[in-house]
Amino acid sequence: MTAHSLSSVDPVTAGSTGGIAAPRPAAPPARRNRRGSRAERLAPLVLLAPAVLIIVGLRLWPLVLGINFSFTGDGDRDGMMVGFDNYLTLLGDPLFRTALRNVGLLVLLLPVAVAIPGLLATFIFLKVPGHRVYRGVYFFPAVLSPVIVGAIFNLLLAFDGPLNALLGGLGIGPVDWLGDPDVAIFAVVGVHVWATFGMALVVFLAGFATLDSSLLDAAKVDGASLPQTIWHVIVPSLSRTIQFVFVTTMIGMLTSMFGLVYVMTSGGPEGSTYLPEYYVWIQQGQMNQPALASAASTALFLIMLVVGLAQIGILRRAGKED
Amino acid sequence: MSGTRLTRWVVAIPMAALALATIYPLVFTTNVAMKTRREYVLDRFSLADSLSWDNIVKAWTSVGMSRYFLNSVIVVACSVALLLLLGSMAGFALARLRFRGSSTLFLAILAALFIPFQVIMVPLARIMADTGLVDTYPGLILAYVAQFLPFTIFLLTSYYSTVPPEIVDAARIDGNTVYGVYWRIMLPIGAPALLSVGVLNALFCWNDVLISLLMMPSAENRTLMVGVTSLRGQYSDDIPTFASGVLIAAIPVLVVYLFLQRQIADGVTAGSTKG
Repeated sequence: MTAHSLSSVDPVTAGSTGGIAAPRPAAPPARRNRRGSRAERLAPLVLLAPAVLIIVGLRLWPLVLGINFSFTGDGDRDGMMVGFDNYLTLLGDPLFRTALRNVGLLVLLLPVAVAIPGLLATFIFLKVPGHRVYRGVYFFPAVLSPVIVGAIFNLLLAFDGPLNALLGGLGIGPVDWLGDPDVAIFAVVGVHVWATFGMALVVFLAGFATLDSSLLDAAKVDGASLPQTIWHVIVPSLSRTIQFVFVTTMIGMLTSMFGLVYVMTSGGPEGSTYLPEYYVWIQQGQMNQPALASAASTALFLIMLVVGLAQIGILRRAGKED
Repeated sequence: MSGTRLTRWVVAIPMAALALATIYPLVFTTNVAMKTRREYVLDRFSLADSLSWDNIVKAWTSVGMSRYFLNSVIVVACSVALLLLLGSMAGFALARLRFRGSSTLFLAILAALFIPFQVIMVPLARIMADTGLVDTYPGLILAYVAQFLPFTIFLLTSYYSTVPPEIVDAARIDGNTVYGVYWRIMLPIGAPALLSVGVLNALFCWNDVLISLLMMPSAENRTLMVGVTSLRGQYSDDIPTFASGVLIAAIPVLVVYLFLQRQIADGVTAGSTKG
């Protein structure tokens, strides 16, 4: 059966690929190759189909569904088109407004979250005493789950916990790190920075590895101070790495703090630690308002697009001025 | 010259302090896990009187961490295996096979990389519910594969692009089919990249809480991280048991980190230098 169908196809295949098949020395490989040439045209399809199906079906299609969904109603109005109602509801919801305000805070803190690992990486690169150890130590919290980090800091930041005991020893009164609405968001963001600066540090170190060492030597010969070397040699040479770290750190702040908020504060006290991703989760999982949650998702997506594009734009321009 | 040497030492002290501050929370948690409840209430900072494994055993058995641990291992192992298989197939095809639209497809996959889970979680939950996959291992595995596949393909495509085309051509002349080249040449050559991407994906899946929380609502299907979050409410007055649960979830990560730190860092930085 196989032989029959093969031989019936053969002339066609031979005709189209004759030029390639002709120089083949022995018959058996040539035949295998000819049969292969049909399977081969399909090979990219076969190899890519599962991945493409999954990505289209479970990432791109849900994105379209979600945006579409955000214009429909919840509860009684399930499935009805309601225009921008959900978005208006969002803007009127104090919890979502807090979430947006907290995003603003994250954007403001972003330069700090980038500068700290950048400086530390510089010192490690310049081989401060103990530089071999630091990289391994600093990077470790970055591979721990936010859940574990959050759980540990629940213990450390408890009102009667170690940090307050330490501060008490220094004569600084106890701070209700996770219970005071004015403090809690800073505590959560601080823990996030503590847990993730190692990630950016490793990226910076990879950037340093590509740095032209003759530039540094030249700076040393010219008697440049450390701040001068950082500002005039290292920062311009690493502009691409810095740009990468800015964007990935911002994405991390917007999309990987759920675990921390969930474990450390559950959005409290008084909703002060809400972030858009936590808001989406609450509306979807707890309040059963999927359409409103979709609107919040779409808003989060827009925020990410705007922030990401703005950053790339700003950094490009800054890079050009140098 | 002596100035820079002095600066180095001045800088080294805060850096050492920071390193201590990075390690201390983990040491503190380990110490708490070793204490009895009474010891903890009396003094939370003193070293545990003796290395007591009672809390760990309690967390593992009666609290149910063993079940959550098993759930996590099953889901992570299957997800990573699927990610590496599908990712390497796609990466090989995109990097080393010529076909129409390959660069467009690569860009589309790259774009999918920038869709955060939070943005698609509502419709994805609905799709999973409609297909009966919610609260099942395959459902969660599929969600993880979908989440981390674009990243996996991106890294493996860049890696396979560095494999000289001559190697592929030589294998073809030896009579290998495309699939033979993939299976016998590309998979072994890609081993370092597969290890790096595999470890990173294993960490992503192991550490995840949001996807798991959404896809596995019932208590017996909880993964380890969701299990840890549920401990907090249950054992708020038994901190040593709570700390033990945290430790059980953290130790596998610590072990992996000790052995594969290099590979993890390679995976994290892969996108940064090429841009």
